[in-house]
Amino acid sequence: MTDVTITVNGSVRSASVPPETTLLKLLRDVFQLTGTKLGCDVGDCGACTVLVDGMAVNACLMLAAQADGRQVLTIEGLAMKDRLHPLQKVFEESGALQCGFCGPGMLLSAKALLDDNPDPSSHDIRDALAGNLCRCTGYSKIVEAVQDAARAMRDPRTEDTRQLEMHGHD
Amino acid sequence: MTDEPKTLTRERIAVGDMWRYADDARSLPAAVPPKTLPSEPLVPQPGQQTLAVGQRVTRPDSRNHGLGRTKYIDDLAFPGMLFAKFKRAGIASARIMRIDTSAAEAMPGVMAVLTGNEIPVNSFGPTFQDQPVLADPIVRHAGDGVAAVAAVTEQIAAEAVEKITVDYEPLPAVFDPLEAMRDDAYKIHAPNSNIYASKVVRRGDVDKGFAQSDQIFEGRFTTQMVEHVPLEPHAAIAEWDANGRLTVWATIGRITLARADLARTLKLPMNRVRLIGTFVGGNFGGKNEISQEPALALLSKKAGRPVKGVFTRNDEFISSTTRHPFIMEYKTGVTKDGRILARSVRLILDGGAYCSWSATTLGKACILASGPYKIDNVHSEAHVIYTNKTMTGAMRGFGAPQVCFAYESHMDDIAKALGIDPLEIRLRNVFDEGTSSPTGQVLHSVVVRESLRNAADRFGWETRS
Repeated sequence: MTDVTITVNGSVRSASVPPETTLLKLLRDVFQLTGTKLGCDVGDCGACTVLVDGMAVNACLMLAAQADGRQVLTIEGLAMKDRLHPLQKVFEESGALQCGFCGPGMLLSAKALLDDNPDPSSHDIRDALAGNLCRCTGYSKIVEAVQDAARAMRDPRTEDTRQLEMHGHD
Repeated sequence: MTDEPKTLTRERIAVGDMWRYADDARSLPAAVPPKTLPSEPLVPQPGQQTLAVGQRVTRPDSRNHGLGRTKYIDDLAFPGMLFAKFKRAGIASARIMRIDTSAAEAMPGVMAVLTGNEIPVNSFGPTFQDQPVLADPIVRHAGDGVAAVAAVTEQIAAEAVEKITVDYEPLPAVFDPLEAMRDDAYKIHAPNSNIYASKVVRRGDVDKGFAQSDQIFEGRFTTQMVEHVPLEPHAAIAEWDANGRLTVWATIGRITLARADLARTLKLPMNRVRLIGTFVGGNFGGKNEISQEPALALLSKKAGRPVKGVFTRNDEFISSTTRHPFIMEYKTGVTKDGRILARSVRLILDGGAYCSWSATTLGKACILASGPYKIDNVHSEAHVIYTNKTMTGAMRGFGAPQVCFAYESHMDDIAKALGIDPLEIRLRNVFDEGTSSPTGQVLHSVVVRESLRNAADRFGWETRS
């Protein structure tokens, strides 16, 4: 057994797991963080994408032990204390989530991109999301959503206006 | 009294809690509610803007998807739950002579092993019940399951599957639908013919139509097999309780049909089967019937524990349904100015090893085969053929995309040969309001002409380089 201690979504968590355990298994089966999905288990589909020290990785291809001592962000940790992450909000509003299975990985890959590049071109977005497959949307809504989120994150005022538009009428 | 708060505040609960962020998200305003609809039923008039069309709407389930809170099958777990894996035949056509599961059963952690002879009614299918839950004794394609294992971990189940040995007597196999149609071809479901469903649509007299035509064009078009590849693989959990009642959580689109199929394969009265359709991580037609569920139910019955089965991506490709490959032969008679007088179509659908939704696909393809064009003389015939390949079934469009590819390619070929603009030849032939289709259906709300013109304007057909 291998002892692993990682910081998941801001909390320090430890587990003793067989050495072949992947980070995906650790998150889903040991920590019950089932928001991270298993789609292909061979690193092709990106449904298992999480951020390790801010970098998007396929959790099915990384051993849990390789994440020892690192910071891991899963979809459960993306929402802010009092509001959705702009990406989550825009994805929700613009129909970028249909069956939703690719969503968590897609959102985290997009977050890694926007953290690095606040003003990505459509080509940058397609490049950053190339490892995340979606069978429902045809990608165009997703790319538009990431652009919208980037715009909102660059201009917090716009973000507040949107919040008002979306939720202020009831 | 002390200043100590009497109730736990969110901050106190949240410290060190992995759910901290997402729990906070629960207090967010709900997803935007849909626009209120009037209580009186609304009958839209032609050209009237309704409350639905053109409105931006959000999916009510998006919030949970985006937070990672949606529970798909693989996100559910029950106490004592086991994990199932399937042994696939790996041979396209064979008779199973002997299956030795003893080494698998002896493995610590293996709680149940199942083979085809233990299934009460080992056949299912939405049209013909020609598909076994686990092959016994005939294997008809390489992805057929031959045994299933339930173990305490997925890894043990996968190892146990490797330890199952199967002796096969190889049988002749046929992979090409045209070859399989011949009388002397190997019968995949002997003694029945490999041609397992046919349809003919006739209108007018094609021979007369061809005789009147200035020119006759022929074209042959083929399409390939396509897998749905839902991001979420087929998944189900079965629990056979001590009271003899079965509960199945499944990613199935047609739950009432699945419930009937489960009751039939397991020889249970339907009131003992409870089927819970969960969130589906992509269906596209591929999750419209049962697959592994009866096997999971029987494994659960044997082991006395809930059993979860999630297809591997490999299972998904070799053992779930796919889109039919088509061979399409078109013959069209036209006048000099591009008006279609007669069209005959022959469709050969490669059905793979089992029927699934083939009969439905065949029907729709045959009805739509002549395209959205006014043709007085039509003859369309379609046949679906068994081959020793992965079975085909429902997939978005039920055969319509294949024939669309063929008749539109054929139209382009004709336009080019006649020197007529491809848009113009379509406008000369397309359906109008009140046109009757080749099956005699009178069509309403026909806007194909306007749609073509709008599309051509939007992408600049006239000014293309």
